[in-house]
Amino acid sequence: MINELLWYLSRATGITSIALLTAVLLLGVVTSGRRRPVGERATILMGLHRWLSLGMVAFLGVHITTAIAETYVSIDWISALVPFTSAYSTAWVGLGTLAFDLVLAVVATSLLRQRIPERLWRRVHWGAYAMWPIALVHGLMLATSAEPILTAITIACGAVGAAGIAWRLSTGHADRDARRGALQGEWS
Amino acid sequence: MSLANLLDEAGLTGRGGAAFATGIKVRAAHESGATLIVNACDGEVGAAKDGWVVAHHLPALIEGARLVTGGQPVRVAAKRGSRTLELLTRAGVDVLAIPNRYVSSEESALISLAQGGLARPLTKTVPFVRGQGRDGNDRPIPATVVLNAETVWRVAQIADRGPGWFRSQGTATEPGPRLVAIGGAVARPAVLEAAAGMPIRALLDHVGVATDAEYVGVGGLGGILLPRDTAGELLWSSTDLARFGGSVGPGVVTVHDPSECIVDTVDRLLTYAAGESAGQCGPCMFGLPAIATDWHALATGIEASTADSRLERRLAELPGRGACRFPDGIARFASSARTVLADHLTAHALGHCPTHPKERHVA
Repeated sequence: MINELLWYLSRATGITSIALLTAVLLLGVVTSGRRRPVGERATILMGLHRWLSLGMVAFLGVHITTAIAETYVSIDWISALVPFTSAYSTAWVGLGTLAFDLVLAVVATSLLRQRIPERLWRRVHWGAYAMWPIALVHGLMLATSAEPILTAITIACGAVGAAGIAWRLSTGHADRDARRGALQGEWS
Repeated sequence: MSLANLLDEAGLTGRGGAAFATGIKVRAAHESGATLIVNACDGEVGAAKDGWVVAHHLPALIEGARLVTGGQPVRVAAKRGSRTLELLTRAGVDVLAIPNRYVSSEESALISLAQGGLARPLTKTVPFVRGQGRDGNDRPIPATVVLNAETVWRVAQIADRGPGWFRSQGTATEPGPRLVAIGGAVARPAVLEAAAGMPIRALLDHVGVATDAEYVGVGGLGGILLPRDTAGELLWSSTDLARFGGSVGPGVVTVHDPSECIVDTVDRLLTYAAGESAGQCGPCMFGLPAIATDWHALATGIEASTADSRLERRLAELPGRGACRFPDGIARFASSARTVLADHLTAHALGHCPTHPKERHVA
């Protein structure tokens, strides 16, 4: 009975994490780049980005803990941190672990942002663009396969997130364009 | 007496334009064992004195460099394809070939290039001569001091002839002999062995100014524009030139071509400046094209009054906000041109040009 509860809890927190991660990604996408909002809206969106990401980490924590605790499938503590060490579904659980490691790196550098070089924070933060699709594939290939509604939610998250990233890529960036333009010609 | 003290006593300042006390730099270079880059780029528009020093006083220049570094390596920077670079190479001097960009001869751009980076100015958080500086990728840069070619030559002269000889020329605040390159619409462009405090008229008479020339630039693209008559009444000293926002700067005097409308000359120079930004600091890479566009609007007389108020606001915002002083210099030049050419610009706004009264002015 407890085991069954843990299993469902793990599924539920997993899909919630994916939804929250997609929301955080979208908030990140709209607060970076040239068309970003300014003033109060920027403060609100940035605050949402930060607090939702920490909320997502809480759900993720429950997701991982319950996945290890329940005994339908065998996943141990090591494979929660070291990718591709799980006996059960090595590849797809491994992707989840990889995404979690990236989450840890992004959260840790963000908490230390005032104390580390801005470049380091930025480079690690770019890792979110790798983490998000990895987490999606992990979700899609594992638990949601038997549940059409979970599959649908994951695919919807993928579509919405991809649209956000496409929007970001399509925006011209006057600053970046000017820098590239200036680098044309002889500088060395 | 140490060399640095000797230079302090002589009152030698950097001849590249910034006029920083050379004694302070040399003392810091000795303390940190800095290597030396001699800047012989003549990077300012119209500059020629660095090349003149290399052409006529290369042994003294090398001796000055040796005195400054006390045996540390020396490199001499000159523009790629220049006669100066050719002379240095032929003499077996260790050279640093600089790309032909306006900001590439700025001191931190030379350091960046010498370290294997691009010849673009670096942010100066600490003086590079102390050896704690870092490049754009946060890599440490070994202690390096950059001195203008004329400055290094003056060091050798002061060591040889003493501070008393040096102070016997120039003014109390700007002592010593200093070179000035005079070019443009003159009969005999030349590098003159001058000194601060000389009448500008005397300098101009020496090279034979075109009779109908109306405007004189002092200090190149980072300097100021003056009506010829005004310039003729001034002394070539930073005290006199400061009244018009200028200084003796890097030793450049340019007589502008009387056959070209002066507003168009400034337009051309500002357009050139806009294309020379290294694309690192926003105020420079956006500000300079913006003021060039404003000036072009003034030159064509299209919506001139809005362009003028925009230009005034931008010129006030530009200085002091870049990694180097390039935007400051261009703002200084554009401000002085805006003031000096007010009447001429008004005529343009009304659709005619005083330089070409018979032609209807079309940009």
